[in-house]
Amino acid sequence: MAEALLQAIISGLAVGGAYALVALGFSITFTTTKTLNFSHGEFVSAGAFIGMSALFVVLGLPIGSTSFGSAVPSGGAQLLALAAALGVMGVLGWVLYLVGVRPFAGRPGMAWVMSTLGFGVILQSIGLAIWGPKPVVVPSPVGDAVIRFLGVGVRPQELLTLGVAVAVMVGFDHVMNRTMVGKAMRAVAANGNVASLMGINTNAMMIGAFVVSSALAGLSGFLLAPIAQASLFMGLAVGLKGFSGAMIGGLSNPRGCVIGGFVLGVFESLVNLWQAQWREVAVFALVILVLAFRPTGLFGRKLVEKV
Amino acid sequence: MKGARHVAAVVLGCALLIGLTAALSNDYYLRIVFMMCVYYMCAAGMNVLVGYAGQKSLGQAGLFAAGAYAVALLTTRAGVGPWLALLLAAVVSGLCGVLVALPSLRVKGPYLAMVTLAFGIVVEKLVGEWTEVFGGAQGIYGIQPLTWGGQPLDTQQWVWFGIVLCALTHLVLRNLLRGRFGRALLSLQADEIASSSVGVRVYRAKVIAFVVAAVTCGIAGAMVAQQNQYINSDFITFHLSIFILLLVLFGGAGTLAGPLVGAVILTLVDALLARWPSVQHFLYGFLLLFALYVMPGGVVGLFARWLRGKPAGAGAAPAAGEDAPALEARGSGELLEVAGVGKSYGGVKPASDVSFRLQRGHIHALIGPNGAGKSTMINMLTGVVAADEGSIRFLGQEIVGLPAHRICCMGMGRTFQNLRLFAELSVLDNVMLGRHSRMRNGFFASLAALPGARREEEATRRRARQLLALVDLAHLAEQPAGSLPYGLQRRVELARALATEPQLLLLDEPAAGLNPQETAELGQLLLRIGRCGVTILMVEHHMDLVMSVSDHVIVLDYGVKIAEGRPAEVQANPRVIAAYLGVEEGEDEPAAPAAAAA
Repeated sequence: MAEALLQAIISGLAVGGAYALVALGFSITFTTTKTLNFSHGEFVSAGAFIGMSALFVVLGLPIGSTSFGSAVPSGGAQLLALAAALGVMGVLGWVLYLVGVRPFAGRPGMAWVMSTLGFGVILQSIGLAIWGPKPVVVPSPVGDAVIRFLGVGVRPQELLTLGVAVAVMVGFDHVMNRTMVGKAMRAVAANGNVASLMGINTNAMMIGAFVVSSALAGLSGFLLAPIAQASLFMGLAVGLKGFSGAMIGGLSNPRGCVIGGFVLGVFESLVNLWQAQWREVAVFALVILVLAFRPTGLFGRKLVEKV
Repeated sequence: MKGARHVAAVVLGCALLIGLTAALSNDYYLRIVFMMCVYYMCAAGMNVLVGYAGQKSLGQAGLFAAGAYAVALLTTRAGVGPWLALLLAAVVSGLCGVLVALPSLRVKGPYLAMVTLAFGIVVEKLVGEWTEVFGGAQGIYGIQPLTWGGQPLDTQQWVWFGIVLCALTHLVLRNLLRGRFGRALLSLQADEIASSSVGVRVYRAKVIAFVVAAVTCGIAGAMVAQQNQYINSDFITFHLSIFILLLVLFGGAGTLAGPLVGAVILTLVDALLARWPSVQHFLYGFLLLFALYVMPGGVVGLFARWLRGKPAGAGAAPAAGEDAPALEARGSGELLEVAGVGKSYGGVKPASDVSFRLQRGHIHALIGPNGAGKSTMINMLTGVVAADEGSIRFLGQEIVGLPAHRICCMGMGRTFQNLRLFAELSVLDNVMLGRHSRMRNGFFASLAALPGARREEEATRRRARQLLALVDLAHLAEQPAGSLPYGLQRRVELARALATEPQLLLLDEPAAGLNPQETAELGQLLLRIGRCGVTILMVEHHMDLVMSVSDHVIVLDYGVKIAEGRPAEVQANPRVIAAYLGVEEGEDEPAAPAAAAA
């Protein structure tokens, strides 16, 4: 029992790391532009598939293939794939901002909800046209040998996901709080008009926010693909749980979002251990519960008071 | 009568369609028409939610599922008859609609959209994974179809049933949206605070919108399940939610024709592209991404210029003299008592221990330098902001903690410092909204357009025109309020506040932005309103206006009341002079009170 519990917590933390990356992405665009990317989930899938197709290319397979067969990509190939996933997703984020967000940002009616959703649907349908709906097994960059300790089996990819997620958060936190770029970003978040009067290029900051946010979604997809299997439909659930994590933690507080993502991952994993079909309902119920008592999330309040 | 003509047109259109489909024997085409009806049902309700109430729901597939699976389980497991099952399915999906609407009490905008999205996904997972109950991808077989004369409906009869149901839905929703409820929903889309301050129960209106959307969507789901006699989890996808949303946005949100146009065009497109699902999805994505950019009003919006009818009889305004008896004169005595009210935002205290009384039939002014807490006081009186401490008694009843719409219904009307008109609505609609809380017709009476509801609507229109005549705006009644010049918008807001039939009228800087001529006219108008027995409390910086019309002046400075009395007394009060002009150093006499005030 104790082993099962520990097992669930560890895999929950790993998946929670991916959720936290997604949650952080939501937080970044929300604080700087007051908009959310409603196709963030599709961006997660896209990240997984771009990483995957980069591996195909390096291995000399056609991009549209749906299986690795027995081929095992080298570490260098995996790094290249990671770079490709981050880069392409960053560019996609920029395109999304240009066509889907900037025309509508700041106007009433939330038309950007529709346009970002539409962007995601387009991405997904392109993916379906190339790879079809079947999931693809993706080899992990750190191998598939299960590591055992305390009677618990952990896949190295899970540890990698957790490690990368934590490293990214710490790095992000440092940038936001200790560097000029971070200060500029927070200034835009606090008041875009005043920030532009202080000589900050708010447009660049907003583009930057979407680029970073999308790259994080891509990273999350890239890390999740070997754990789950790359599927064009994996993103929706991940994106939604990432957002749930952000709501639990407080969308306006990046640290809160990260904590929320981890909490949600572990919670989901524990519910899964108990009754698998109630997993989604339980996650949703938790979000509703948090919103009912703290509409701004568990850690969202501090930032609100400062404003 | 316009309404009767419309009903006749719809009946005629229905008969025509039924005649046409009777000649159609191809099952494939009949099914397309049937799906148009199904999607029209979804879109018609969704339009109430998206187009009128301005709430985004991205989880309509969940409500579609609620209706479909309710019918499935009721007829296969519980042995309920098919007609009753359809009715119960509508109830079940309505309840699910309440469930989705509940978070709207706490969260708004993108949060709410995401919650509805989550609801759709949860239902999708639930029907897919909880196989013992919902059968998963295997689905539920043997759902009883609707019967007529003991025989199950054939495809043609299903189409006829669909057409009749759509026509009824259209007529009923039209009744609802063109009257009191439609206006209330549009107002909350525009500005929730202003909406509640004219007496609209914002949350209730939102929940109603969610429930209407849920019921029509649930009926659509039930129709599909009963017609196919089968339902499985493949029906319930995120793409269905997006499709339903697209029906409304593409057709034209907020118009009565929009859902019909959207349903007809997109169902056809859907059928044409059915063989290439990824092209289908690509197109939907493309439409979502660009449709709102290229045509914010949807297809209907593109043609609106040619379709728009002539404005209805704008010249029918009554003479201004008629209005006087309508504003009731009431007795004298105390109307409002404020005792020890305090409010703080962190370190800023816009009110501390403020007390004053307002006398019936008087014109009171609340003055003070910038940042004195005047607007906060108005907001606390009207329930927009909750006071931290103290008591406010209006008509002998404690009103601290009451929601804004309740206070409005008790007889307190207000205007806002930075104009909060419903910019897209006509001037007349704005003023009619003011009477929302005084209208007696309920939801179902409006739905069925009972004679009582029509009479209320007529009376409200007449009253609104009288009030517009009072403020000299009768000739602009049909213009969108946002298109008027600033000074006229102020008068619209005043008329709207008067339409709530207030005993106490709160005016937050009514003369701001007016030129001297307009300010003088406003003064005359206020005196006229005052003579009709309405008590007025106005926040104002124009001292000429304050001194010429008010009976009693209250002065606030840094959230503290520093003086009150007749205009001349207040003008001579050294503390007031000190607050406005400052104090020279070394001048002893006013210095002490000024320090106390700070």
